Amino acid sequence: MKQKSPVFKLFAYIFLGLFALMNLVPIFWMIINSFKSEQEYAAHPFAMPTGIHLSNYTKAWDIANMDTYFINSFLITFISLIVTVFLGSLAAFFLSRFEFKLRGFTYALFLLGMLVPIHATLIPIFLIMQKLSLIDTYMSLILPYTAFHLSLTVFILEGFMRGFPKDMEESGIMDGAGIFRIFWSIILPLTRPAMATVVILNFIYNWNEYLFALVLVTSNNLKTLPLGLSNFVGLETANYTLQMAALTIAFIPIIIFYLLLQKQLVTGMTAGAVKG
Amino acid sequence: MHTLKRSKLAIFIGLFPALVIYLGIAIVPIGISFYYSLMDWNGIGSKSFVGFDNYVRMFQDDTFWLSVKNNLLIMVTGLIGQLPLGLVMALLLNKALKGSGFFRTVGFMPVVISSVMVSLIWGMMYNTEYGMLNNLLKFVGLESWQQNWLGDPKWSILSISAAYIWQNVGLYMVMLLAALQNISEEVNEAAELDGATGLRRTWFITLPMIRTTLMVTIVYSISNSFRVFDLIQVLTGGGPAHQTEVMTIHMYNSAFVNLDYGYGSAVSIMILLFSLVVITIANRLGKEKA
Repeated sequence: MKQKSPVFKLFAYIFLGLFALMNLVPIFWMIINSFKSEQEYAAHPFAMPTGIHLSNYTKAWDIANMDTYFINSFLITFISLIVTVFLGSLAAFFLSRFEFKLRGFTYALFLLGMLVPIHATLIPIFLIMQKLSLIDTYMSLILPYTAFHLSLTVFILEGFMRGFPKDMEESGIMDGAGIFRIFWSIILPLTRPAMATVVILNFIYNWNEYLFALVLVTSNNLKTLPLGLSNFVGLETANYTLQMAALTIAFIPIIIFYLLLQKQLVTGMTAGAVKG
Repeated sequence: MHTLKRSKLAIFIGLFPALVIYLGIAIVPIGISFYYSLMDWNGIGSKSFVGFDNYVRMFQDDTFWLSVKNNLLIMVTGLIGQLPLGLVMALLLNKALKGSGFFRTVGFMPVVISSVMVSLIWGMMYNTEYGMLNNLLKFVGLESWQQNWLGDPKWSILSISAAYIWQNVGLYMVMLLAALQNISEEVNEAAELDGATGLRRTWFITLPMIRTTLMVTIVYSISNSFRVFDLIQVLTGGGPAHQTEVMTIHMYNSAFVNLDYGYGSAVSIMILLFSLVVITIANRLGKEKA
């Protein structure tokens, strides 16, 4: 690469710097003020906090039921993720490694889901869940999370498995292994890289989901983190620093997750967007 | 692939569970939505068939048209705000400047956090009395610029757009950056030999090279804009006085607040149609160009 002119560099850094500031300032503002008392915030919203007051954090953790929300989000996210990836990889295996009459049709059917806005299905899903008495259960969220992420999961995994050479299964057949054995011990281990993408995508989508939770869960004990947070903020409208503490609590785990898995997350979400 | 031909039962067992959940929850409800859209129904009493009355009502409803207008506004501001900014960021990050990793990490961060979190953070920034924005204006002596960002109909939808753009620029940035990094070094060298440098090279060589990705980002940005829900629901709930309602919010309010399931379903079918029309047009255009 040739040297860039200093003028270009200066402008580039100014632009990049402004952009970074736009992204960081709201977050810093939230974190810094979460350590202040309500009065201190009202008087000096831009000053650094006089001390590290953790009282907002203990209070937010207690009254906002953050622990309940975290546990709910965690369980729902992971159960949906495991079911989606398991069923999706099984379906992808048969779609990619077998020939049968309705293969093309079934595959196209799975892809169709990526075009459907969830809003077009929301009312029937609510009424179905009501009829099955599943409102206010983990199941009411696990089912739609699974159903709506199967498309992308099947798409990514099918594409990956299709790339394996044709005689991949030969050795398994020689050993007399059954079809599911071959799936489990030959194909699945080879699919690991694509699996990582799919797991991360499912995790982040499920963890952040709001609309289904809003409609299908009313009991405070079953709320997920996004739903619980938005309710909490709606109730504590007068306590800004308390809200900020609650938000920071929810922000920290996801940002750690992001920083640790940044590469996979960025490529995964880009792929998800391009295909979705 | 042919090695495993005789296995119909296994194929059935393997596909069945995924298909049942997927069809039952993601596909069949679309049909049910359409069926409900022909009914007058409050969810509890009996349904009565009313034909296309709900659709007629919808087309005569000013609130519905307001929500369509807001959707279009978010679409346009989204296109104008997200793509050029994302593109410039991607072009700069592609220059391998020092620290570009940091800028990419920071740029993509809003994409990873939930829209609820984004809305809550922006809600606090927009707060009239205690928000960062108005405080900042006071701090620099521009008190006359202070606004009721979310409560004033003049500003509310624009305020939402700003938060929406903030949330999504990073996604387009990395999509475009990935495309830029795929351009081979030879192309750039050839361009240089021909004397194409700087802006000229960007315009005549780089951008045409990533045309497909540019199209994808445009389509994605448009179809995304019709799916906005969380951000508005949390920031304003569609208020003040329906001023920030988009179709998804209009659907939600009709069905789950006013318990008018028939009408809500009609709106949801419109959301589906809008999405499909946009995607079809985009595909057509994409094919023509390619």
